[in-house]
Amino acid sequence: MKNDREIKTPDAKLILRKFDSGDKQETQQFCTWCTLFLLGCFLFLCGRLWYLQIYKGAEFKELSKKNSIKYVRLQSYRGNILDRAGRLIAGVEPSFNIGVVLKDVHDVESLIGQLASLLDEPATDVRMRLVAAKNQPSYLPVIVKRDASWEEVARIEARLYRLPGVVVEVAPARQYPYGTVAPHLLGYLGEVSLEQLRSGNFPHAVSGDLVGKSGIELRFEKRLAGKSGYKMLEVDAKGRMIRVLKVQKPQPGQDVQLSINLDLQLAAEDALSGKSGALVALDPNTGQILAMASSPKFDPRIFARGLTQAEWKELNNPLLTPLVNKAIQGQYAPGSTFKVVMADAALQERVVNPYTTFFCNGSFKLGRRRFRCWKRGGHGQTPLYKALVQSCDVYFYNVGLKLGVDKISKYAFGFGLGKKTGIDLPGEKPGFVPTRQWKLRRFKEPWQKGETLNYSIGQGFLLVTPLQLARMIAAVGNGGKLYKPEFILDEPPVLQARVPTSSWTLKNIRRALIGVTEDKHGTARTCRIEGIKVAGKTGTAQVIRQLRRRESESMAWRYQDHALFVAFAPADNPQIAVAVVIEHGGHGGSAAAPVAKAVIERWLKLRSPKPSTIIQRNL
Amino acid sequence: MDKRIFKEIDYILLLSLLLIMTLGFINLWSASVAAGYPFQWKQLQWYVAGTILMVGAMSFDYRELSKYSVHLYIFTVVLLLLVIFIGKSVSGSQRWISLGFFNLQPSELAKLLLAIVISSYFAQEEKEQFGLRDLVKPTLLIAVPFLLIFKQPDLGTALLILIIYGSIVLFARLKWSSFLIILGAGLCAFPLAWKIMRPYQRKRVEIFLNPDADPYGAGWHVIQSKIAVGSGQLFGKGFMKGTQAQLNFLPEVHTDFAFSIWSEEWGFVGAVLLIGAYFVFLLRCLNIAQNTRDRFGSFLAFGITAMIFWQMLINICMVLGLLPVVGIPLPLVSYGGSSVITTLLGTGLILNVRMRRSLFQG
Repeated sequence: MKNDREIKTPDAKLILRKFDSGDKQETQQFCTWCTLFLLGCFLFLCGRLWYLQIYKGAEFKELSKKNSIKYVRLQSYRGNILDRAGRLIAGVEPSFNIGVVLKDVHDVESLIGQLASLLDEPATDVRMRLVAAKNQPSYLPVIVKRDASWEEVARIEARLYRLPGVVVEVAPARQYPYGTVAPHLLGYLGEVSLEQLRSGNFPHAVSGDLVGKSGIELRFEKRLAGKSGYKMLEVDAKGRMIRVLKVQKPQPGQDVQLSINLDLQLAAEDALSGKSGALVALDPNTGQILAMASSPKFDPRIFARGLTQAEWKELNNPLLTPLVNKAIQGQYAPGSTFKVVMADAALQERVVNPYTTFFCNGSFKLGRRRFRCWKRGGHGQTPLYKALVQSCDVYFYNVGLKLGVDKISKYAFGFGLGKKTGIDLPGEKPGFVPTRQWKLRRFKEPWQKGETLNYSIGQGFLLVTPLQLARMIAAVGNGGKLYKPEFILDEPPVLQARVPTSSWTLKNIRRALIGVTEDKHGTARTCRIEGIKVAGKTGTAQVIRQLRRRESESMAWRYQDHALFVAFAPADNPQIAVAVVIEHGGHGGSAAAPVAKAVIERWLKLRSPKPSTIIQRNL
Repeated sequence: MDKRIFKEIDYILLLSLLLIMTLGFINLWSASVAAGYPFQWKQLQWYVAGTILMVGAMSFDYRELSKYSVHLYIFTVVLLLLVIFIGKSVSGSQRWISLGFFNLQPSELAKLLLAIVISSYFAQEEKEQFGLRDLVKPTLLIAVPFLLIFKQPDLGTALLILIIYGSIVLFARLKWSSFLIILGAGLCAFPLAWKIMRPYQRKRVEIFLNPDADPYGAGWHVIQSKIAVGSGQLFGKGFMKGTQAQLNFLPEVHTDFAFSIWSEEWGFVGAVLLIGAYFVFLLRCLNIAQNTRDRFGSFLAFGITAMIFWQMLINICMVLGLLPVVGIPLPLVSYGGSSVITTLLGTGLILNVRMRRSLFQG
């Protein structure tokens, strides 16, 4: 059998084993199957290629682009905030942010511990910031410390090789060359919140950006923020840049120049330091705000950096309310400063003339109730001049009764009280002017005459903001014009209304208001300034109504009266109008007037052709 | 030597081979730029050396080989043993022997040598059908080099040798019952194999089953390869313009993932062209196996065809995300001297079989 199939070939003595015919057929068949299998594999691979490259091709193309193209956002520099002389109040400088790329972190807990000790912060704060960023892509750095100090950066940089995932970034940050100036007016920056992003009012912002949270920073966010740019980079698998594909330069934000005078502002803040209260200084002829201070101040930088628990607690102190801009958000009973409005109403409505006197024996009887004058012994025969200079309550009780609540409210509204002034800042409060109808509606009771008496001396339901007071007193100085308070230097003045008054009436009031500071018995002798005449009016607003004022001096700070003072100067040609409220400061004359004086003096010094005379006097 | 044999050269086969090498060279050019080392020139040297060896492999009567099958087997085992003693270790695997000018990868050569040995064995064993008992001896023969390669470790090549062996056994006609028993035993042995596998090998299988579980770690290769291939779309991104490969998102572009960069840069059209070239080549090889009357020649041609075919199929399936990542090169396209020379030597032997087909006509 075997030999049949073995043949010898001529060129080699090799054995050739041929297949049996049956064998061969089987093999041929097997090879046919193999051919079919091969073709099947070919079609299968082509099918798979078609699926990946054609059917899913566009999808994979996107993925490959995402792989290799990275956008780096180029943050725009925020616009500067300048004072009226062009001095930089809030600028921008590069700062260091310390961030964590969570993707590259092996052991988050130990990193939190290390960072906390390096940055000298509680570990819980660091953890909170990392947790807060849970939703953002893990390759983006989460900022754990903004505006880090040189020492902190140095400490981190020195250990960077042992802190995988930690990055130090350079980012523009607000800097305040003169320290913390007018933080309430300027507002502060903070990381944009989810609500803000959703609101659509911050189209330029992305998660992690700093945006205005209050004040001018918030109101002028769009103008200040500018437009961020981007760099389109081609990167390799390790994230290294290969080349720049495209650069869209960021547009820096526009500057905002304020009508604020930095010197005045600083003087106001100095005078208010250690106190709780507010000051507003206006140019009576334009309505421009020259200074707006609220005390206590806060450091606006800490918000961008991220607050610690302790800082947060301090900022939310319910008594001092450092975050509230008391100049536009604090609502106080105007106390005797309201007598300016009362005097105007009395003269305009002709219920008195300048020579009409009322007798003050220290109190006023209405039915069975006695309403006291602040001076126990009384002021005796009191005409308008004396009533304003010595702030006689009894005189104004009489006037109030003659006017009635409706007229008083009409004049209060006329002086711009009880409604927002329209200042272009978020969060302004309207104050409150009561009316007969309101009382009925609110308490289902008719207006009482006793309430009219309280109303007449600026107590009771009446509430005003320091800004309203400043505008009120400015109107007395400028001939009865109510301007929209404006803090942007280039905005033209907007005359909103004219106070119901006449030049004769104002002349009489002004004369008396000069007496307040100049007269021997004036309540604001403390605000007398040599060389110019200051027209002012003090006020002392009771915090607790029932108690007698004398007793209040020995009471706890928070039950003490608010001290108020409004003034303008020079009295005959007013250039500056000031309103001061010192919370729980006691008497307007002793607590509030010196603050106003400091600002007016400062203003004078700036204005005076010979500033030396003022300086000498200060010494 | 009989002059007739030159008329018997399969020119379609040669043309498809040339096409594969040309495309492979173009591709390696781009991959070399991506990898930052001029692999294409070295590869060209291997092409030339391989072609010379291919001509050499055609120039003698292949039946001589049958006589030396025992020697070849011993040579293979010795080479593999040498790897253990004097082998060079690269990233945890000891696979190479340094020859000064050239790092030989004996496991590559072993594929071809064992294909010859097995073909020779079954060509000599004359049976209608093979049963389980007939397989004991060849399986033991194969087990030695298999284990040596498995220990390097080079799971891919070890499995490939088993697959080539299995293909030849099937070609030699295995009893259906035996086939089913082996299949069943193989499935039962799977858990055992899982235990023997090294952790990184297990991980590869796990990643294959679920690549998204660890996209930045072990799943990276599979995901990036699929992205590369897919993003090529119909016409590709253009020569040297494949972002996945050029920006190093793809690993091993010049070796295991060469097809990935090819598909990215030349698209569906290019990929089908290359696969098509392979299939024309393989179909011609299969045709030679089919039409050779000599048992050994037929077995030899089939074994070598199976070797090239399975390498190609496994490599492309791996690149397309259809198989776990195993280190099996794409013949003639992946960079590597041992692989190129093995493939071209094998092709030479197939052509050898074809050329001498006419001798047995009578």
